[in-house]
Formats: sequence, structure tokens, C-alpha cells
Amino acid sequence: MQHTRSKPRAPSWRFALACCAFWSAGAAQAFSVFTCEPEWAALARQLAPTAEVRSATHARQDPHHIEARPSLIAMLRRADLAVCTGAELEAGWLPILQQRSGNPRVQNRAPGMLFAADHLTLIDPRPAGSFLEGDVHAAGNPHAHLDPRRILEMADVIARRLEEIDPAGRDEYRARLAAFQADWQARIQQWERRAWPLRGTRVVAQHSTFAYLWRWLAIEQVADLEPKPGVPPTPRHLQKVLETVRAAPPSALVVSAYQDPRAVQWLAQQLGTNVTVLQLPSTVTEEQPADTLPALFDHLIERLLAATR
Amino acid sequence: MAVILFFAATAASAQQPASDWQAGAVLDISAASRALALGQRDQGLGLGHSDVSINGPIGHRFEAQATAAAHTLDRKLEVELEEAWVQTRALPAGLQVRAGRFASQLGYLNEQHPHTDDFVQRPLLHRAFLGGHWTDDGMRINWTAPTDLYVRLGLEAFRGRRLVEETASSRRPGAVVLSGRLGSDIGLSQSWQAGLSLLHNRREAALESGEDAEEGHEEGHAEGHTHGHGAAFSGRRMWLAELVWKWAPDGNNREKQVRVAYEHALVEGLDRFASDSDRHQASYLSVVWRFAPGWETGLRADLLRVRQPHEDHFDDGRLREAALMLAYKPSHAQTLRLQFTRQHDRGGFPTATHSVQIQYILNVGAHAAHAF
Repeated sequence: MQHTRSKPRAPSWRFALACCAFWSAGAAQAFSVFTCEPEWAALARQLAPTAEVRSATHARQDPHHIEARPSLIAMLRRADLAVCTGAELEAGWLPILQQRSGNPRVQNRAPGMLFAADHLTLIDPRPAGSFLEGDVHAAGNPHAHLDPRRILEMADVIARRLEEIDPAGRDEYRARLAAFQADWQARIQQWERRAWPLRGTRVVAQHSTFAYLWRWLAIEQVADLEPKPGVPPTPRHLQKVLETVRAAPPSALVVSAYQDPRAVQWLAQQLGTNVTVLQLPSTVTEEQPADTLPALFDHLIERLLAATR
Repeated sequence: MAVILFFAATAASAQQPASDWQAGAVLDISAASRALALGQRDQGLGLGHSDVSINGPIGHRFEAQATAAAHTLDRKLEVELEEAWVQTRALPAGLQVRAGRFASQLGYLNEQHPHTDDFVQRPLLHRAFLGGHWTDDGMRINWTAPTDLYVRLGLEAFRGRRLVEETASSRRPGAVVLSGRLGSDIGLSQSWQAGLSLLHNRREAALESGEDAEEGHEEGHAEGHTHGHGAAFSGRRMWLAELVWKWAPDGNNREKQVRVAYEHALVEGLDRFASDSDRHQASYLSVVWRFAPGWETGLRADLLRVRQPHEDHFDDGRLREAALMLAYKPSHAQTLRLQFTRQHDRGGFPTATHSVQIQYILNVGAHAAHAF
């Protein structure tokens, strides 16, 4: 009786077991990549499409001011590789995540902890100044991903690190890297042609977020809305910026998606009608139109061209 | 002395060595119109929790941190080695071991450095039961689960210094803390953390069973002590529950944020005369609102209910406290805070008062990153 009753159940029981085995194997084998910022997640997805890639932050967050939230500790706990910017950008939160994750793979100097700043040349390095100079990054400006040529360098660095940690996927990573490099080099040339009219354009921006983009496209940032690096705009400083640019107003006033636009809106009002306020994503966003690395640069260049026309 | 330490750290941070070691210093100066009951800041000008700290890796397997802290209390400058610990970085399976002197992870606020607090003084709960900030010599083992939900279980064993009011030298010292913590995000804008800790205070038990018990309780009866070193009230067991909820539009806490924290403590086993209903309780609720980058305002309500032993019976003690603060933080380096605190004596705390406090905090160099 029992035997006959249990027989029809056997297939579903076996199916459940198979599912379990498949799920646990999948959970154990899925290569997990943690990134501090979305641009590195987008790049890692290009190079390791089968990996589980997650970014700790998104485009509407200021990466300098992230809290070491429990969810981020849990995210880092399972990571096989962590890709971050370095140069003290994450100094306020990443060390706590590393310390509390209990994950030996992503501790500093372990192969699974990769800092972009250790592999790229950064602009504007400054000697550590006094505490009154604001939040200065001594190693240089960390927002290097807004130069696509540095993205190309990082693609190579990340691919080699993936190979080192996950040798089984070596051929796949190499093929992916080669395809990415070919595509990206062609895109850089297209972007440089397309952005040619932007050369010499004068802009006012908040923080040094877009400094690498300006340098690449020969755009000149004539003033910074921050009185000191990392210090939010103050009325007195905005008045000073207004005085310096009133005679020759810039073409655009730029803030990042995570910065409050009220300061630039006030400045635009004071300067008159010919100035455009641009709130630009400073990294890959979750929704269109800048949801991939190529789309991000397309979007930035189109918005800047539209503003200067 | 503090000034010398401060400048030593400034010099150390200015010439960063090529290694991963980092040094930093914090200066905390405050002025108060009056000294609060169970307070840890004097009337007039005082030095708050100021420290000099170094941290960095020891090889691939360990990291270490040492902190020397200074503050003034009862118009005297006190300097101590607050932290000196080594922690593993390379254990498998989400395990971590820490040994040395460090702050217990019981509850929410205790493991954080006081200079990151949102208010000039720690909540009544911490001042009454934990001597403000309980750091001790001991060992910790933690396990973090490999799940999307943050799950952390921890066991700590300490000497138990400071958990009883006088630093009685006992033959059977020790305090054990069991704690668990969960946490996660809700959508892009909200995050939470909840925890429960149990402190088993063997030192209190030892004091109780020892010959010096009577003497200890006579001292323990001193009302409204202002000296905040040892725990003013203690028992054999303390339960401590924590709940933290934070909200920031799109998770961009730089621009705007609301932080809500609640802790509740229950202390049992006060002494041999205590019945099950004789227990201390304390709780606080704090709400802080960052309304613009660099600007915060907050309100905290504290409640303390104690049973004060008096020979073979207990007297009720009740103290309420409310604090309202406004803080300006132009950068990571500086905080300027104005706070108004009002205490209500509901029995047993005749020194309850109200106070206006001004606090200035200066961070120099690299200091250990802040926890959630």
C-alpha cells in the first residue's frame, strides 16, 4: 500500500532533489563580483557575462559618502572579486565592509581586491594638505572612469585579474577582452570626432567629478561650485563664482545626478538665458539612456553638444 | 599632554608611510552650562573623547588598531589606552577572531567611537549601565552568514573591568557577551539593522558572593554620581535590544537623511536581596534629520528606571532626559554642535538639571571608517 502510494510521487521528489543539487551547485559556482561603483560593474559584466556582478552604489549616490550598511557587508561577504576605485574615494566605508565581511578573498593585497587607482595614472595628485583644505585625495582625482582611454586600461587589468582568480575561464575572459577592446577603440575614435565642436567650451561644475571628461574632450572648467573639495556650495562662494564668470559666462553649468541642482539653478538665473544647466550622470545608471558604458559616453557627449549649440 | 598627542598624530598623518598603515587624531572640545546627572562632561570648558589612532595590516592574515584616548572629567585630564587589538583577516567560512582591548559589540552604539555620535553625550542607558563606552580586555569570535540578509553572530569574553561601580579586584572576573545582528535594505531608500545582546556579568556575581559585597552596595547607593567611569548600576545579566532605521531619498545620504535609533536595556539579578521584579531598565529613542548637506538636527528621549539597593530593600530611581541638537559638518574633518539637554528627576536623582552644550570636533588624518 505504502509502496504503491509513494510511487507516483517519486518523479516530483527526484525533480526537487535535482533542483536542489542544481541550485546548490549553481550557488557554489557562480563567480561573484562586487564593485564599489556602477562603472566597474558595467565593465565586469562585459568581461565576465556569466558572473554575478553587483555594485554597492548607484549613480544617484555620492560615492564619497556611502554608509557601511548591513546589506553591503552581506554583499561583500560572498564576493570572489571586489573592484573599487581606490585613491581614498571609498575610505569612509570600504574598510568597514572588509573588516566586517569575514571574507579573506577581498582583503587589501589579496588577489580578489582590485583598486583602479593602483593601475591608472591619476590627474591632480596633491600632497596631503591641512585639514582645512577640504576632502583632498592625495593620490589624485579618483573619478578616472570618465576618461574612456582609462576604461580601456582597466578592462585589461580586470580581465587579467579574473584570469588569475578563475583560471578555468581564461579563454572566455581573453576572448571577451579582445572583443571589448576592438569595439571600445572604435567608439573612442567616433566620440572624439563627434565631440570635436566641444573643444574649448567653458563650463562651471561642482566638484572635480567630470575632470577627466573635460581633459579628454578639451573642455575647460572655469570655476568650481565647491569652495573647497568636498565642501557643499555656500552662498558666499556662489557669489564669488558669479563675479568671476559674469563677464564671460560659460556655456553650461554642470552638476552630477547625485548633487543638488539648486546652486547651479540660482547661478543660471543670475547669469541670464544663454546658460544651460546640465544635470549629468557621472556613471552608468540603472535606467536608460546611460545604462551601459557606451551609452553613458554617448549620452554625456550628446547632452554637452545640445547645451553648446 | 593631549595637545602633544594631537600634534604627534598630525605629524604622523602628514608623512604617510608607503605601507597601508594609517594614523589619525580626533579633538573634541565642549563647553557646558551645567554638568548633567550621570554626565560625563564637566561644567564649563572640557575635553571630550579625543584620541590618536593608528590602524593597519600585519601581514596578510591580521590587522591591528591602537587608540590612545584622553578626556577631562572632574577637571582632571585622563589618558588611557582605549584600544589595542589584533583581528584576523584570513579565516575561512566567515569567521573572525579579535583579541586585545576593544569596545564590546553589545547593542548599537557601544562599538562606535563616541566622536561619531549624534549628541554631545551618550544616552543615559550607556552612561548608567556601561560607564559611557565599555572597552575591555578580551576576545571575540564572530560569524557572518553567506546570505543576502546580513546575519552576524558573536561571542565575546572580557575581564569585566568597569562593569561594576568600583574597580574591585576580584578573584573571579569576567563578562561574557552573546550578540546577534540582522540587517538589510528596503528598496533604494531605506535600510535597517536589528540586534539582541546578552551580557552575563560574572564580575558582578563575584562581587555579590564575595565578602566585600556590603561595602560595594553602600557605595552603589551614592545618588546622582557625576563620575562616569564604571557602570553606575549593574546586575548579573543585561539584555540589550537595538533597532536602527535610516532613510535617504534614493539612498543618497549626503544630501538628506533620517536616522532613527532605539535601544532598550534590562538589567536583572541586582543582588542577593533582589526579587525578579527588581530590575533596572533604560531606553532611548533618537531621531536625526540631515536636512541639507552638512546640516543636521536631532532629538533624543531617554528614560532610566533603577532599583537602588539600600541594605536589604530597594528604592525606586527614575530619571528622564531629553536632548535637542543642531550640528554643522562642513566636511569630514569638522563638526560644530549646539545641544540643549533637560533632565527630570522622578525620584533618586536630585542632581538632575538642564544644560546648554557646545561641541567642536576636529578630525585630522585618516581615522578608522565609520560603521552603519
